[in-house]
Amino acid sequence: MDRVQPSGENYANPRTCFFHVLFKAAALAFYVLSALFVSSFVIIFVVTVFLAALDFWVVKNVSGRILVGLRWWNEIDEQGESVWKFQCLDQESLARMNKKDSWLFWWTLYLTAVSWIFLGVFSLIRFQADYLLVVGVCLSLSIANIVGFTKCRKDAKKQIQQFATKTIASQFTSSLQSAFSVV
Amino acid sequence: MSHGDSIPFHSSSQSDIDEIENLINSDALSATVPTARPPSPPRASFPSAALAPPYQKVPRSFSLPLPPPPVDPSAAGPRPGGGVAADGFGSPTDTLTEPVLDTVKRDLTRIVINLKLVVFPNPFREDPGKALRDWDLWGPFFFIIFLGLTLSWSASVKKSQVFAVAFAVLAAGAVILTMNVLLLGGRIIFFQSLSLLGYCLFPLDIGALICSLKINVVVKIIVVSITLAWSYWAAYPFMSAAVDPRRKALALYPVFLMYISVGFFIIAID
Repeated sequence: MDRVQPSGENYANPRTCFFHVLFKAAALAFYVLSALFVSSFVIIFVVTVFLAALDFWVVKNVSGRILVGLRWWNEIDEQGESVWKFQCLDQESLARMNKKDSWLFWWTLYLTAVSWIFLGVFSLIRFQADYLLVVGVCLSLSIANIVGFTKCRKDAKKQIQQFATKTIASQFTSSLQSAFSVV
Repeated sequence: MSHGDSIPFHSSSQSDIDEIENLINSDALSATVPTARPPSPPRASFPSAALAPPYQKVPRSFSLPLPPPPVDPSAAGPRPGGGVAADGFGSPTDTLTEPVLDTVKRDLTRIVINLKLVVFPNPFREDPGKALRDWDLWGPFFFIIFLGLTLSWSASVKKSQVFAVAFAVLAAGAVILTMNVLLLGGRIIFFQSLSLLGYCLFPLDIGALICSLKINVVVKIIVVSITLAWSYWAAYPFMSAAVDPRRKALALYPVFLMYISVGFFIIAID
């Protein structure tokens, strides 16, 4: 069956993809290269963590929505209980999502976390607690997004299944009713 | 906020995720506790890594099990609430800038609102649940970084160590204080408490800023004491309301301790 998009080779949202990757790459690049140029740890810390926070925000609010149609957040309801909300597009829109977009989305997410882990191990070996702090913060931000979106995706699949079952059941019932009412 | 509460239940004219979300909320099928305010659009809440805190309820989830309705031009415009109609519903995303700006504006507004609620006198202070319901961690993030930067800048030696220590102490302190409240059997949401403790750093930020102007030690002590009292006054109602009255002191003393240590840190930096 042909894809709705003209071809699977092109990104549907190149600008979003670009921004999605930009801040992650910038944070990693700055962290790695800054040791060569910048002597002040404070600057390294602030800039890296700021870029990582910016990336977190972009992924959560913009590229998650546009590239994979998922969204997650936390709310506190009237009773003062914490509620995690997940949201996704409906079945058809999800199916229409560009495969390349979502491939890029998920793979860069995982790659970033792995890179930070790697850099963390590196700084652990060198006994640099300061840099471990930076890596720790960036890693927790990446992992937060990964966990959030994974849960959201699982939830979306479950919802779609439930909806499908419900639709089939209701259609079946209504067709039965109409069959009997005609008679 | 930006979208109204009263979107009627009909499935024909919606092409935006948020409108459909409201629909689901008003739908009898949804199993959520109806909230008094419209469900908020996504918020840039900070590390939500702990997605399964001990008190977490089963996440109530939404999906949008509606077939894509015919695109309604009036509803397809960019809405401040949901931002871009970033969906397959047919309305194309125009530019990234508009929705991003709206989201940024909304988040900034929330920071200001939270700050006003926590740090300044307001009618909701006695009801902590209501006051910081829209928690976010961006405000605390900025305040901690700002405090670290100010302290680091004022320090004449070991600047990076000062910054790292300040950041680590404040971050770890906030987490530990929250765990303290939870372990005392208090009822507070983890991120709400982190958010609160972060916002209460605002007076100390001001104190640190003033103290960085190279003034007399005595003046520094006075300034820090005032801002310390202000910070503590801001944090007090929330922390004390969260625990048993008999254990109030147990919950509040560590908070006081942490703020006093930060205060000493500010005074001692030269």
